Amino acid sequence: MTDRDNKAWVRELEKPGPQREAALEELRAQVLRALPRGLSRWLSPNNPEFDELVEDAAQETLLRVLKQLHTFEGKGQFINWVYKISVRIALNDLRGRKWRNVSLDFLQEEGDEGPAFQVASGMSSPESTAERNEIMQQLQRAINEELTAKQRAAMMAVVIQGVPMEEVARRLGSNRNAVYKLLHDARKKLKSRLEKAGFPPKELLSMFDS
Amino acid sequence: MKRVLDWLRMRLTSQRTPDSMPGKVLFMLAATRDKELSCNDVYRMLDQFAEAILRGKPVKGFMASIAQHLEICPDCREEYEALLAMMKAA
Repeated sequence: MTDRDNKAWVRELEKPGPQREAALEELRAQVLRALPRGLSRWLSPNNPEFDELVEDAAQETLLRVLKQLHTFEGKGQFINWVYKISVRIALNDLRGRKWRNVSLDFLQEEGDEGPAFQVASGMSSPESTAERNEIMQQLQRAINEELTAKQRAAMMAVVIQGVPMEEVARRLGSNRNAVYKLLHDARKKLKSRLEKAGFPPKELLSMFDS
Repeated sequence: MKRVLDWLRMRLTSQRTPDSMPGKVLFMLAATRDKELSCNDVYRMLDQFAEAILRGKPVKGFMASIAQHLEICPDCREEYEALLAMMKAA
């Protein structure tokens, strides 16, 4: 494996030709080698979809590297920038496969219908103190009264059900940044409400450290 | 009918971990800042951030803002952890 510096990578990939092909082949090999390591938490090599997913991701990565070459800022190592691209592609593919057929209809419901975001279980457990119950009630009230139905639904999806934000965005016909902002606004409202009610979240954390 | 079943399933799942949900929400609220980076902002800097972490650089300034986003955003955190795993010595 040759040791190209950032300038060399960009120079060789910029224009079509045998140099670009050689550079792409090198990148492909590195991505194919490293991606299984990156995905090990979510995908086992024994999974029948493994080979196809990694192969697809590597191909797509090369295409995107060429397309976005002009955006490489040269501040870190080129190969890490490429890895970053491959990670986004591979994880989005994985997320799509996992969640494609899961019903998340509640995300698209109009108005105030649909399940409420239940932050606490129905009955408090014996270990639950009066203090904890009160905090949970305050939090539940804040969620019910401060958030829009859309914010509640998005929060439930992301925080309770572990739905990827990309997937929530797709169902809402939106994008990841917009979903993040939706949730950020929701969090700010809840935080502010709790603080004003005398329940600053930071100080309550130790009570829920299980 | 299907919607009711989905809702029931969700409630049952959340009841299996009774107290972790309020804790999880409170944690996110405690970590919430007035101004936060967007997923785009973080993605742009993710490789540089990961390199800095691997070099043992202290997390301050802009890096701290990235770290804060990663604490809160599950998608970005997953991508960060995957990238880190790829970058560590083969």
